[in-house]
Amino acid sequence: MSGHDEFLDDVAVYALGAMSEAEAARIRTHIAQCATCRAEYEALLAPVSALALSAEACTTGERGPQVSPLLKRRIMRSVEASVSPVSRARAARGSVLPAYLVAAASLVLALLSGIADIALQGRLHATQQRLAAITERDEALLRDVALQRHMVADLMDPHAERIPVHGGEVVVHGTRIYLAMNHMPQPPKGKVYQTWTLPKGAKAMVPSVRFVPDRSGVAVVALPADARRLAAVAVSIEPPGGSKEPTSAPVLEARLIE
Amino acid sequence: MERVRGGDRVAFERLYDAYHRLVYGVALRMLGDVSSAEDVTQSVFLTLWSAPERYRTGNFAAWIARVTRNRALDLLRARASHPVDGEVPATLPEDDVLEDVAAAHLDAERVRAALARLPAEQREPIELGFFAGITHQEIAKRTGVPLGTIKTRIRAGLRKLRDALEKAVTA
Repeated sequence: MSGHDEFLDDVAVYALGAMSEAEAARIRTHIAQCATCRAEYEALLAPVSALALSAEACTTGERGPQVSPLLKRRIMRSVEASVSPVSRARAARGSVLPAYLVAAASLVLALLSGIADIALQGRLHATQQRLAAITERDEALLRDVALQRHMVADLMDPHAERIPVHGGEVVVHGTRIYLAMNHMPQPPKGKVYQTWTLPKGAKAMVPSVRFVPDRSGVAVVALPADARRLAAVAVSIEPPGGSKEPTSAPVLEARLIE
Repeated sequence: MERVRGGDRVAFERLYDAYHRLVYGVALRMLGDVSSAEDVTQSVFLTLWSAPERYRTGNFAAWIARVTRNRALDLLRARASHPVDGEVPATLPEDDVLEDVAAAHLDAERVRAALARLPAEQREPIELGFFAGITHQEIAKRTGVPLGTIKTRIRAGLRKLRDALEKAVTA
């Protein structure tokens, strides 16, 4: 077997999605430069994509795994909850609520509607095992709701520190810190926004969460850091998997108030 | 998808009806429990609703299956129970999916039949690599087959599967 044949084997493993991040990065680089391996990769996309079909759940009446109809209700209720408040906010020109706050509130509604459906599921599937699973998920949802309520309360609090940045603001409330954007353009194709935090006394930025704003340019990002220990936050455009250090100039930066 | 991009809830519901079994099926196969599979399904469809621009072009089923697989890999990565020595593989770019419209004529039965005709020594590492959320090193460890052999079998199996599916589409 030639050395390049071995590379083609690696390309197949990469196409299947069974490579570690480090190896995958190596193969991606090679594929970008080698026409033979690129052609092999593209030829294997079809069978790899088809593999997913083999796992498709069954339709009603067939034997095998089936999807609960309650799942659709839950999803559609979340969709309804996400649409209505935003639509109302758009209609009410001159509203004092910024768009990011409306989006955050609708997220709370979506989570609450999910909880209502889970309660219904508990009645319908009265097995102990299922109830245990539902209870566990209820608790997770309640934790999410509590976090979202904190977030909305923090963002609405007139005593919160607000540092204006282009297209939004950085909001600091006690130890918590948020990036609240009202008008943020979509990142370039194949890229995401990544946040960075600079601890006090540090020289290098620390990678933090990645995000993409919604279609109207709204994004609310809770940064997982203690605001009291931060000197600055920044946002740059990065690959979807994120970067360990910024690879592009920051699109916004905010120095925190001492 | 154009109508979903415009915020059409009826169009979104139709997309859900058409693809939820694929999304849920992939998530269930990878994660092994109903609760997690439902969470991933909900997450994939709500992301599709809130950020429809993430789908750009190509075979939609292939795209949403890849998004689902990536989301399930994220969940596996977050699970404390996942073996430390079995690193979860890298997620693949969402945009890097099939453009071939012929694949739209494939259905689950044809793919299952084609998979079943592969020799077990090729089918097993392919299914483990795609659905188990493990790397080829972990596959080699679990099956006791040398790493180089695993890689060769994956490639040979995928090529054989491609040929079988092409015949199934044109038949």
